[in-house]
Amino acid sequence: MTMDMVSAILVSGLVLGSVYALMASGLSLVWTTLGIFNFAHGSLMALGAYFAWTMSDAAGLNLWLGAGVAVAVAGMVGVGILIERTVIRPFYDDKDILLITVMTTLAVMIFLEKGIQLLWGARLKQLEPLAPGRVNLLGTTISAQETLIVVLAPLLLGGLWVFLRYSNIGRGIRAVGQNPAAAKLIGVDVSKLFILTFALSAALAGLTGILLGSVRFITPTFGAEPLVKALIIVIFGGLGSLSGTIAAAYIIGVVEAVLIFFVGIYWAPSMLFALLIAVLMLRPQGLFGKSVR
Amino acid sequence: MTNPQRALEIENLYAGYDAFDVLNGMSLHVGASERVGLFGPNGHGKTTLLNAVSKLIRPRSGSVRFMGENLEQRSPQDIVAMGLVHVSQANRLFPDMEIMETLELAAYTPRARKQRKANLEHVLDLFPRLAERRRQEAKTLSGGERQMLSIGVGLMCAPRMLMLDEPTLGLSPKLKDELAAAIGKISAEGIPLLLIEQDIAFVLSLVDRMYLIDHGEITREVERGGAVDHEEIMDMYFGGHASS
Repeated sequence: MTMDMVSAILVSGLVLGSVYALMASGLSLVWTTLGIFNFAHGSLMALGAYFAWTMSDAAGLNLWLGAGVAVAVAGMVGVGILIERTVIRPFYDDKDILLITVMTTLAVMIFLEKGIQLLWGARLKQLEPLAPGRVNLLGTTISAQETLIVVLAPLLLGGLWVFLRYSNIGRGIRAVGQNPAAAKLIGVDVSKLFILTFALSAALAGLTGILLGSVRFITPTFGAEPLVKALIIVIFGGLGSLSGTIAAAYIIGVVEAVLIFFVGIYWAPSMLFALLIAVLMLRPQGLFGKSVR
Repeated sequence: MTNPQRALEIENLYAGYDAFDVLNGMSLHVGASERVGLFGPNGHGKTTLLNAVSKLIRPRSGSVRFMGENLEQRSPQDIVAMGLVHVSQANRLFPDMEIMETLELAAYTPRARKQRKANLEHVLDLFPRLAERRRQEAKTLSGGERQMLSIGVGLMCAPRMLMLDEPTLGLSPKLKDELAAAIGKISAEGIPLLLIEQDIAFVLSLVDRMYLIDHGEITREVERGGAVDHEEIMDMYFGGHASS
C-alpha cells in the first residue's frame, strides 16, 4: 500500500468522521439532557438542507448561500422548538417516556420525509458549495467543501464543548441531564433548558445537512443513513458522554473509510455493525462510557 | 393572617404522591430569624413537606407563605430566586461535575449571581475540605463531603431562608459535630432555618423551637429548654402500646 492510499483513506475517514461527529453530538446532547432518542434527527438534517436550497438555489429565491444558511439554522431552531413542544413535552412525567418518544419521533421522521417529498418533490437537489474549488489535503485532492467540513466540525464541536463547560446555561444543561430535581432546587428552569437543548440539536442537524448538501445529493431520506451511523456512534462511544461520542465519530469515520477501501461500499455497513456488536460484548457501556450502576 | 414577622408560614397543607396524602393538614411557622427543627419517624411527611414547599411536588391544598408572599402560583425556580432554598436529603447533586463548577453553577439566579464571589469565599471558608478538593467530581466524594457540598450549594443560592433535610444522614459522630458547627455558624448570621433531623440531641442543640410530626400532622411543639418527654418519642416510634 502506498502513502497515497493511506492518505486517501485517512482524508476520506476524516470527512466522514466530521459529518458523523456533527450529527451524533446533537443526538447525544438530547439523550444526555432529555433522556430520549430523537429518531427525527436525520430528517431534521434533510429539512435544513432543503431550507438552504430554497433560499439560495436559482430555482428558489436565488439569494446568497449565506442567507440560506442563516434562514435554515433559524428555521431548524423553530422546528426543533415545535417538535419538543408537541411530541416530547407532553410525556416528561411519563415513566415510559423513552419508548413513547421513540414512537413520536419516528412519526415526526415519517411526517417530515413525506412532507418534504410533497413540498419539494423527489427530484435530486444539490447546494452550491460554500467553498468552491479543490484543495490538496495530506497529499490527497478533495473538494474545498469537504475541507471546510473537516475544519468547521472541530470548531463547532469545540464551541459546543466550551459552551457546555464554561457558560452558565451550558452548565445548567449538564446539570439538568445529571439530576433534574437538584437543578430545580438551585433555580434552573428545567423545561426552558429542555427546549433550548432540543433546538440546539436541531440546528446542528440542519447545519450538517447544509454542509453535506453540496457534497451529496439532497433527497427526502438524505438524513437516514447519517442518522443510523450517528446512532451507532452514540452507542459505540458510550451513552451520556459527549466527548466519547465525538471521539467515536472520528473512529467510526476512519474505520468506515478503511472498510470501504478494502471490502467495498456494500459490505462496509454490515461490518461496522459487526464491530459495534463485538465492542458492546466486551464493553457493554461503550468505548468511553462509564459502567452503569 | 399574614404576619411579616414570619419567614415561613404554612397553613393546613395537604400533599402527597399519586392518590396518597402524606401531609394531612400541616400547619407550622418559622420566625424571621428563628431556627426551627422538625422531628419525627421516617415516612411521616418531613421530606414531603419540604418538597411541597419548594414545589418539587404540587400541594393539594393549603397555603405556604414566604416573607408574607403566597407561593401558590410560584414555580420551583421562582422560589429559589425569592431566596427560599431547600437542601434536599442525601442529594447526589451532579455526579460528573467538579466541586468548583457545581458551586459556581449553584449561583444561578440573577440575585445569587451578584453575590457569587462573596458566597463562594464564604462556603470555602466554612468547608475548607471543599477547597482542597475543588477539581474533584461530585460522584467521587465521601458522604460527608457530599453533605458539605450540598449545604455549600444551598448557600451559593443566596438564601434568605434555608431548609435542610437530614444534613447528617449516615455520617460519623465526628463529621456530625463538624457539620453541626457549620450549620450553627450559618444560622448565627440570622438566616432562618428549618432543620429536619432524626437525631434529637442534634436538633435540640441547633434550634430555638422544634415540632414533632406524626402521620403528616404536627402533634407537638417544644420550646428550647423545654423537656421532651422520652415516652412521647417512644410512642411516636413504637406506637401507643409499647410504653403502656
